[in-house]
Amino acid sequence: MKHGNIIISQPTALYIHIPFCERKCFYCDFYSEPLKNHDVPKTLGAMLAEFDRYKFESPAKTIYIGGGSPSCLLAENLLHFIDEITRRTGKAKEFTIEVNPGQTNPALLNKLYAAGVNRLSIGAQSLCKKDIEFLRRDYQSATVTRLVNAAKKAGFDNISIDLIFAVPGSNLRRWKRGLQKAVSMNIDHISAYALSYEHGTALTKMRDAGLVKPVSENLDRQMYEAVIDMLAAAGFEHYEISNFAKPHKQCRHNLTYWNNEEYIGIGPSATSHLQRRRITNIRDIHDYCKAVEAGKAPVEECIESDERNFACETAVLGLRKICGLNLAKFHERTGFDALKMFAEPVKKYRQLNLIEVSNGRLKLTRAALPIANSILCDFAGAD
Amino acid sequence: MGTENIRNFCIIAHIDHGKSTLADRIMLLTGAVTPREFHEQLLDDMDIERERGITIKASSVTMNYNYNGKDYMLNLIDTPGHVDFSYEVSRSMAACEGALLLVDATQGVQAQTVANAYLAINSNHEIIPVINKIDLPAAQPDVVAQEIEHILGIPAGQCFKISGKTGEGVEELLHAVIEFLPTPEDKSSDPTAALIYDSHFDGYRGVICYVRLFAGSLKCGQKIKMMATGSTYLVTELGKFTPRMSKVDGLGAGEVGYLIANIKRLADVTIGDTITLENNPATHPLPGYKKPMQMVFSDFYPANNTQYEKMRQAFEKLALNDTSFSFFPQNSPALGFGFRCGFLGMLHMEIIQERLERENDIEIVQTAPTVSYEVVKKDGTVEIIDSPSQLPDTSHIEELREPFVKLEIICPTDCIGNIMKLSEARRCRLIRTDYISATRVLMEYKAPLAEIVYDFYDQLKGISSGYATMDYEFIGFEASNLVKIDFLINGKPVDALAMIIHRDNAEPRGRKMLIKLRKAIPRHQFEIPLQVAIGGKIIARETIKGFRKDVTAKLYGGDVTRKMKLLKKQKEGKKRMKSIGNVSVPQEAFMSILDNSEE
Repeated sequence: MKHGNIIISQPTALYIHIPFCERKCFYCDFYSEPLKNHDVPKTLGAMLAEFDRYKFESPAKTIYIGGGSPSCLLAENLLHFIDEITRRTGKAKEFTIEVNPGQTNPALLNKLYAAGVNRLSIGAQSLCKKDIEFLRRDYQSATVTRLVNAAKKAGFDNISIDLIFAVPGSNLRRWKRGLQKAVSMNIDHISAYALSYEHGTALTKMRDAGLVKPVSENLDRQMYEAVIDMLAAAGFEHYEISNFAKPHKQCRHNLTYWNNEEYIGIGPSATSHLQRRRITNIRDIHDYCKAVEAGKAPVEECIESDERNFACETAVLGLRKICGLNLAKFHERTGFDALKMFAEPVKKYRQLNLIEVSNGRLKLTRAALPIANSILCDFAGAD
Repeated sequence: MGTENIRNFCIIAHIDHGKSTLADRIMLLTGAVTPREFHEQLLDDMDIERERGITIKASSVTMNYNYNGKDYMLNLIDTPGHVDFSYEVSRSMAACEGALLLVDATQGVQAQTVANAYLAINSNHEIIPVINKIDLPAAQPDVVAQEIEHILGIPAGQCFKISGKTGEGVEELLHAVIEFLPTPEDKSSDPTAALIYDSHFDGYRGVICYVRLFAGSLKCGQKIKMMATGSTYLVTELGKFTPRMSKVDGLGAGEVGYLIANIKRLADVTIGDTITLENNPATHPLPGYKKPMQMVFSDFYPANNTQYEKMRQAFEKLALNDTSFSFFPQNSPALGFGFRCGFLGMLHMEIIQERLERENDIEIVQTAPTVSYEVVKKDGTVEIIDSPSQLPDTSHIEELREPFVKLEIICPTDCIGNIMKLSEARRCRLIRTDYISATRVLMEYKAPLAEIVYDFYDQLKGISSGYATMDYEFIGFEASNLVKIDFLINGKPVDALAMIIHRDNAEPRGRKMLIKLRKAIPRHQFEIPLQVAIGGKIIARETIKGFRKDVTAKLYGGDVTRKMKLLKKQKEGKKRMKSIGNVSVPQEAFMSILDNSEE
């Protein structure tokens, strides 16, 4: 087996996908398998072997362990895995792990912090009883509060929680109440997502069968606007369509994606973005392990972007940031003048007050954010 | 060879009655194709027609045939079978002396059979009635022969009963062609006169003219003159379709073939024109034939304005092989620069649209087809308009006249009720019914063209389980109580959506059209009001709500490719749309207003 033949000389963002969950959530379309059906140490071993295909000449820029549910692993497995990673990549300035309420305890949090993890992303999903029930999660909002407090005690000063709104059966008042609870936890970062009906999920099948009625577009929008307003009032900066941070607490790892920069993805189904190639790993855990063990790249798909496509991606991703695209940087990175390349949509949407150009930046206006796709699609491919 | 050994004929038939198979069978019998080629054609009819259209299914084929010890030259000239193209049938007929009237033994006489038979009779053709597909179990050749006798007055006993597929009876039919069809008049010593009955553009050789010589002769190297345009050319190649293009030194009176003369300008060939010799010209051009009558008009705009010039060139190219449609530059305040086009019928329009898009890669936005109208103005002048936007102010209009047609429908008797209902809803007046057999009836209507031109045929097929056929023929313009109805998008009237319809149903139809329009225009980032006005007065309003929420909530490293793809698809959905102000209006919207279906 050849080791370290892909040399990473720049600090690069690392995403590590733990492909396990205790059980699959019916609305989730990330790849994961029930923990009990698999040989976890073997899979983690294969992931480390995938790591060893790279040679890191400088420490990782950021590390993000997501999934799946990293916190569903046995503590010893997880901690050992983290040690093995940092042994290879060094400690990153931002090192995030996703944790689920009910899967963590103070002892684990202490050990994670000691191991170099310095940011927690809590998959709270909701802090309202009824929404939690709909989402079939098995905790209460108090569980989340306890977790946040324990994390702070363990030393974490960068805590994020994920929330889902537009849950069927919900209403604006309930959503605002849950959001207020999150604010009162005095955390650093909130990601607020509208429940999405992804292709192939049980949720989508239920909707198509008429068993689940999505909230109205109007309510969805009101809920989204409520997040923007309430979090602004609570001192959060809205920095990406669905993301809000206290000063200096933006997620640097995720900014890598929106800046269309390079990153390495490790683990089944994880995607890397290197030299304008998007390389997606094999999804199936067995096939993934087999490929890695055979010394092969565990790759399922590799898509190379041409120059125009790369520029389009950079524009679409960049415009998700509230500060928008830095036109000079865009030109430097892609070779295109965004105002020329997208002259038609820019002109049209400026007239409609959906896009603005100021201070060398191109950005969506507040009015554009709830309907961003209808605008961004005009940046998704240049004729 | 003298003209007494030449027979020029065509096969006229309703669509699918077996014209191509019979033609192939005749070619096999005369040795023009080998059994292998014949087999291939039977197996793969459509593909062959597409791929080798010009050589195998040439507009004509010249065959040699020995009958009773004498050599004959048989020229079979092709005709199209659809109602829209009766004009092309008539031009093929102008090039020959006789016609085989082909009727499917399982289907019986159909509307186009009748229409084509009348065309043949009017052009003084000798007609041989032929009943095809007698090998099929459902064949009823005697019933069909009775129908032919009843409706066309040709004695049932004169019908030939054949099967193009098995070849049964085709040899006897060929003998009849020689015995019964007239020989071309011998005018070999008159000044040359050749009718251009079709043409084709070849990228390498320029224009190829399909000609029928009525008088004199043509030889390579001669200087010819087009009598309508006056332009002159040197003949570089003459030939016949055998069915492949085979060169000959000359063409004589009565013969059919092709002519190449280094003609590069598309505009210089007019189908129906007479070719003569420059130094010994004919005194009069040949009568040609009935000019094509354009029944349907529609505006074509490039979806992308930068393609206007490309579109013009594409139209010019198409016009060479199809002189029956017209195009004139048009400037719409709402849609920008485009072309006003005239067509023989709806199918014709669809074919042109498809060819424009497929062969030239131009995205087209096309307005709802309309007919032409006669406007009698207060000052007594009469003006023909082919677009509602050309309608003068009502204060100047004395009378509006719309085109009426004689509509003939042949259907099973059990469909009569449904057809009466449909035709009543479309303002058609029943003139007569004629039982052509115990189970089938011919119904003749006087119908406003505007009511039958768009979807009438589809509806007719629907209510008769596909059994009814129809044909129509222009009669003339007659006064009608017509009004103009306008649609406003975002408060602005859109000329390309205006329509002229009968006052009696203007209001309910206007409301219905408005709902169709609302459904056809996608949502935008803002609310769009739609209004319909009759005679300048708004009678209804609909609103297209703006997007309230449309955003991908999560977009991280693993989602980029997929989400980009979804956005591209969303953008794709915006193609083939025309911007009217800030509103993108899709092609379907322009057509939607003509959609008569419920819901």
